[in-house]
Amino acid sequence: MYLTGKHMSRRTALRGLGATIALPLFDAMVPVRTVFAKGAARAGEKTRLVCIEQVHGAAGCSEVGLNLNLWNPARVGRDFDLSPTSLQPLDRFRDHLTIVSNTDTRMAEAFAPAEVGGDHFRSSAVMYTHCRPKLTEGSDVHVGTSMDQLYVQKFGQDTPIPSMQLSIEPVDQSGGCAYGYACVYTDTISWAAPTKPLPMVRDPRMVFEQLFGAGGTAEQRAQRRATDRSILDMMLEQMTSLRRELGASDRQRLDQYADNIREIEQRIAKVEARNTSGEDRELPGAPAGVPDSYDEHVKLMFDLQVLAFTSDTTRVFSFKMGRDGSGRVYPGSGIDAGFHNASHHGATEAKIREFAEINKYHVSLLPYFLEKLQQTTEGDANLLEKTVVVYGSPMANGNNHNHRGCPLILLGHGNGILEGGVHLHAEDGTPMANVRRRSLMQAPG
Amino acid sequence: MVRAGLLGAPLAASPRFASPAAAASHAGLSPESLQAQNDTIREYCVTCHNDMMERGGLSLSGFDVAKATEKPELAEKMIRKLRTGMMPPRDARKPDQATRMNLVTALETTLDAAASAHPNPGRRSFQRLNRAEYASAIRAMFGLDIDVSNFLPPDTISANFDNIADVQMPSATVMQGYMRAASYVSRLAVGDPEADPSSTTYDVPRTESQKDHLEGAPFGTRGGTVVTHNFPADGKYTFKMLLHGEPTGALFGRTIGDIQMEVSIDGARVALVKVDRWISESDPDGLTVSTEPLDVRAGPHKVAATFLQEFEGVEPDLIRPIDHTLADTQIGVGYGVTTLPHLRNLAIVGPFETSGVSDNPTRRRIFSCRPTAPAEAEPCAKSIIGRLASEAYRRPLAAGDLEELMPFYAQGAKTGGFEGGIRTALQAMLASLHFLFRVEEAPAGLTGGQVYRIADVDLASRLSFFLWGSIPDDTLIGLAERGELSKPDVYEAQVRRMLADPKAWALSSRFAAQWLRLQDLHKIEPDALSFPYYDETLAEAMYRETELLFDHMVRADRPVTELLTADYTFVNERLARHYGIPGVSGPDFQMVKYPDDHRRGLLGQGSILTLTSHGNRTSPVMRGKWVMEVLLGSPPPPPPPNVPVLEQTGDSSDGRFLSVAEQMAKHRASPVCSSCHNVIDPIGLSLDNFDVTGAFRIKDRGVPVDSSGELYDGTKLNGIADLRQALMARSDVIITHFTEVMMAYALGRRVEYYDMPAIRQIVRDAAQHENRMSSIILGVVRSAAFQTARADVAMDGSKDAGRNR
Repeated sequence: MYLTGKHMSRRTALRGLGATIALPLFDAMVPVRTVFAKGAARAGEKTRLVCIEQVHGAAGCSEVGLNLNLWNPARVGRDFDLSPTSLQPLDRFRDHLTIVSNTDTRMAEAFAPAEVGGDHFRSSAVMYTHCRPKLTEGSDVHVGTSMDQLYVQKFGQDTPIPSMQLSIEPVDQSGGCAYGYACVYTDTISWAAPTKPLPMVRDPRMVFEQLFGAGGTAEQRAQRRATDRSILDMMLEQMTSLRRELGASDRQRLDQYADNIREIEQRIAKVEARNTSGEDRELPGAPAGVPDSYDEHVKLMFDLQVLAFTSDTTRVFSFKMGRDGSGRVYPGSGIDAGFHNASHHGATEAKIREFAEINKYHVSLLPYFLEKLQQTTEGDANLLEKTVVVYGSPMANGNNHNHRGCPLILLGHGNGILEGGVHLHAEDGTPMANVRRRSLMQAPG
Repeated sequence: MVRAGLLGAPLAASPRFASPAAAASHAGLSPESLQAQNDTIREYCVTCHNDMMERGGLSLSGFDVAKATEKPELAEKMIRKLRTGMMPPRDARKPDQATRMNLVTALETTLDAAASAHPNPGRRSFQRLNRAEYASAIRAMFGLDIDVSNFLPPDTISANFDNIADVQMPSATVMQGYMRAASYVSRLAVGDPEADPSSTTYDVPRTESQKDHLEGAPFGTRGGTVVTHNFPADGKYTFKMLLHGEPTGALFGRTIGDIQMEVSIDGARVALVKVDRWISESDPDGLTVSTEPLDVRAGPHKVAATFLQEFEGVEPDLIRPIDHTLADTQIGVGYGVTTLPHLRNLAIVGPFETSGVSDNPTRRRIFSCRPTAPAEAEPCAKSIIGRLASEAYRRPLAAGDLEELMPFYAQGAKTGGFEGGIRTALQAMLASLHFLFRVEEAPAGLTGGQVYRIADVDLASRLSFFLWGSIPDDTLIGLAERGELSKPDVYEAQVRRMLADPKAWALSSRFAAQWLRLQDLHKIEPDALSFPYYDETLAEAMYRETELLFDHMVRADRPVTELLTADYTFVNERLARHYGIPGVSGPDFQMVKYPDDHRRGLLGQGSILTLTSHGNRTSPVMRGKWVMEVLLGSPPPPPPPNVPVLEQTGDSSDGRFLSVAEQMAKHRASPVCSSCHNVIDPIGLSLDNFDVTGAFRIKDRGVPVDSSGELYDGTKLNGIADLRQALMARSDVIITHFTEVMMAYALGRRVEYYDMPAIRQIVRDAAQHENRMSSIILGVVRSAAFQTARADVAMDGSKDAGRNR
């Protein structure tokens, strides 16, 4: 049930019902240029960023797996062989693949006795923040600003929606989370500030409506925006009067809500600004909801990301493809063990190889996305040239919960930020965040 | 003492909330007695918990019972471990029962006396409506069922529940979700003559059995789905049914031949659609069959899309499909095996050719008046908006409310006439913070940390969100407005009225389901080859059984412990067949007595036994952990990393399969594991006579089940009856923990050590009433934590003493 492909047939039945939205005339606006394989990107090139997290590490990042090259290929440099690795499905995109081996997420390690063993409940919080999550069950959560949000704050302010957060697994961990960590550390990988986790949206339909809004004609949508604006004004006024009745800590919370309201106001303003300079194009119908199968769900989420990039509604996504402790079985992997159980492979080769198949299955979903990006042209280049996809895990060896030598790859050329086709091996002790920062954060969006 | 229906008057340590009489009689512990308790600690505890060894990261060297109030958090931990009998551990030297309980009593008495002198009701931030509360508020106001998951992000769970205030994080996503929901609901409720065609899809779980008649569907049909769909306007709608395919793209179940599907609205057939057995995914319409556009009137209607029942009885196949027909879509591909087409989802598309909005129950609820002349429009609008706002805001209308909403009426009326105006005002109302946030009003002039009684209207909301999971009704608001709700006799009568109301089902569907972790049931997929009969329909019945048992406890006001001991349960035909209970037919649930004593109470229910299993084997660890966490409130310590999984220990030896018990024993041979698993596993093993799906068994893969073991305190266990008995011997612990979780749910905050004295008081009082459900619920709603609040860091800026005192 994706937005294109052979399943399009089902969807085209809805033709004519789909909402339409203004798209800027990319092709007319972008001057002709050559794509450089090297060097910094130029301003105004709208580099898209997708931060993906998969959990539980990789089989190839255990001792046995390293020797068998189950994740990273044996050779460093350009002449690497992916065939024994879980990255094998990416072989046809090897020119767009940058493998960075041997980086750490040490902030996910235990720093105090009470934190020992709690890796599953804090790793995700570390993945893109590279900060140490404060041990608490309450609202006083604290970690760091995540990379996608740093990027948004630096480059991503001129799209209607600054960034979106997507996930695949449900977050309703029954009983709550363990080891004294608030569930939010497990539930999200995006943090707008050290104390501001962003919720991740699992339902593709909700993603669609957030991106493009509801309402049929442009006129109806404009009318709805006008009502929304008055409602936002009302909410802000109510905040002011509520504020007087509340104590300091509740006021703080209320102020955060007020910031949220202002952000929505800005979104509306940006949509309107853009609409004056765009034209209406047809969008496919909204997806129905959460699909049955894992790969359908993942692919639908990729469809929506491509759609958002194409319409330039947002340029930044974070995408959580797994949830720590998830025992989900992936029929597509050919392995019948649950994800979490399989990650505790006990360092036996047979079990490690099984786990590697699961890792490979997860990786095998990426080419779908890369292909769609490649097939979408914007100006003089396709979107894959303009996008950086980060894919990795904050755990290295899930069997013993270690965080050194984690799986990390980058895909796409990001307007020349990344050369691709290379396997880099980091010095021991290199934090994962260094790689990403060096490659992305200095580049203009 | 201060009693107020008025806005909460400041309140000192009120005698009403503690039980001074009880506390005083315990409080004066003699010096000798205190010395004896300290000796007990030194003799039995300090041997491990000393400054040198610090076992479990804890030292009790120098701990003085008389000064327990200086370390209340630690003292509460000691009480918990001692009461459950988990400390001292099995292999250590132990005091006798009386000595142990003397120590517990001394600690409790000391803490309770201190708490009675300085009660701490705790504090929480304001709550906002979570998904479930939002949906039930909309149901209460408009009689509409909506799927909130289309709008709001999932709620964060803390301490079992989805309503814990401090983990409800602000975000633009959630605020935008509320706004989108307000727009949607207002259009749906009023009806939208200008509604755009849109498509709503209802998925059918893949492993739901579609062989038999579905509850609520017309007779003579099988499978499919029944949904209540909200039609936004009178007009034409198309119904599209997507069927399951084989991996090749052909229709699954085509061996049965051509079939017909029926679409019915409110029980009346509106369309019959032929399904060509040769359709395929590669066709232009794929595996979708559609009706012609059909006329439907606005409002909620029950839509059923089902298959005509072509035959009854058993097909004389050599290989017969099992209930779980879609475990694998490869099965039944060949001839000779009869399979049936299955509905995958139903999409309702429309409206086309909208012809207005006709009357329906939701609109009748809204439009209590109609303007017949232009001059009447505004007064009529005011009366409608005012009435609905009072309901939504859960309080009498305040002066500014209408002033705030009427401009929205004016704005909407400009283009949409009277109805458009009402709709727009409704949208604003549903996006109003007065609706979305549950801010409780504090009386003026408080200083930081001061305890005060909450206003009656806020009490009404607390009650109704706790007992009904929804907004208060007119009666509650009326009583609150007159300041009568907090009168003790009125209060109790109201609680009893609410418990008798059907809405109290929320205690089962929201409180009990989350406490017992029923949502995990849907995450377990028992292996289709070993348990071919297991499907979503059976899982649904199991879930319902547990809800019904809890609901019965509430309605019949049974003792809480009957949750464990009940010799009866609630089953329908499907579940009865699973349990081997004869004489139950049909889809309706009925109360039955168990024919034998294999099953009793929650521990014998399929839901609990399945949700604590792996797909391919039972898990004594998960079952043991469930009992420790959910019933006893003493979670086992987390496992260290690098633990081998059970499979690695090998499941066979000397050419035969090992029983689960033997495998676990091998697992426990590792000293890292044994210290905890010696506690966890025997609990779970005693339930091993129930397989992954909760069916009774005496053999597992040909090997006799061994459900014997020894509880952490040395009690011998052999099977479920022994476990139940051992747990009932600790019923005080179970009742206390039950009260604790109910308190957390009622308050919307995690229970802290300083709540324990109040909880013990509730438990002591409930014991006078045979621990009946109502006595605990009443205890919770009468507690200081429920009826009072502690001022936030005061307006004057003094430090908040609420949480960390």
